[in-house]
Amino acid sequence: MKPLRDMSVGELAAFISNHLRRRGIEVVLTGGSCVTIYSHNAYVSADLDFIDNSFTRRKKLKEAMAEIGFVEERRYFRHPEVELLVEFPAGPLSVGREPVKEIVVLEYDTGNLAIISPTDCVKDRLAAYYHWGDRQSLKQAVLVMKCKEVDLGEIARWSRSEGKIRDFRKIERLLLSPPP
Amino acid sequence: MDINNTKMLQPLLGSVNCERVLLFLLARKEGYPREIAGFYQTALDPVNKQLKKLEAGGVLYSRAVGRTRLFAFNPRYPFLPELKRLLAKALAFYPREVQEALTMVRKRPRRAGKPL
Repeated sequence: MKPLRDMSVGELAAFISNHLRRRGIEVVLTGGSCVTIYSHNAYVSADLDFIDNSFTRRKKLKEAMAEIGFVEERRYFRHPEVELLVEFPAGPLSVGREPVKEIVVLEYDTGNLAIISPTDCVKDRLAAYYHWGDRQSLKQAVLVMKCKEVDLGEIARWSRSEGKIRDFRKIERLLLSPPP
Repeated sequence: MDINNTKMLQPLLGSVNCERVLLFLLARKEGYPREIAGFYQTALDPVNKQLKKLEAGGVLYSRAVGRTRLFAFNPRYPFLPELKRLLAKALAFYPREVQEALTMVRKRPRRAGKPL
């Protein structure tokens, strides 16, 4: 197996997921690192955000992460060979105020990675844009739109249910802009 | 008025300080630990602890304003509308003086150095 420092974001996330799964901990990758994976590194996230669908006790999670060399530092886990920080934000797995319904499994040499779908990834980024006004998140949503097939109708429906349909209409053209 | 004697949701939330923090933020939209503790005339530590716990759970978020950390409801919390409705209903059961004390707060600016 490759050393951790040589793994891509996807390989590393799959390696961690695989290890946790063997310990009975089911996690799903969410957040900015999904943009990294779907945009083929056009955006580079600084951390891996896993939602723990098993609602594991922190002590067990800490022990499982320690087995692969990750040490807890405040809310994060850090590995001496890896720049990326690993975090387990509080669940449940959601995009805005809705539960995530579809989970994609990506296969890597290091294991299988459960990850939110490209459509949910765009929603996740747009939630940050809608609620915080974060334009970097909007840019990330556009990146995923350009690299992956995304259900724009579903994003419009979700934006409406978040009370953000007017914001969606304003950025719709940007989301639909053709790949360079 | 006894602000400290009112606890509608304590059996549900398990902590009077959790209820205090949530109701304060519902009424005032945002707040910092010392302000919340001062309002309820209670110790700072338990209020701080609740704020951090709620932030770690995704219910609240915080941002730094100068040297102060301001807390507010996390708009991305999936149960936020339902939680706010519950809190609003609980607040309606509070004595009128408490409701007014929570909601009546000076919002308009005051020029620096102006005598009261």
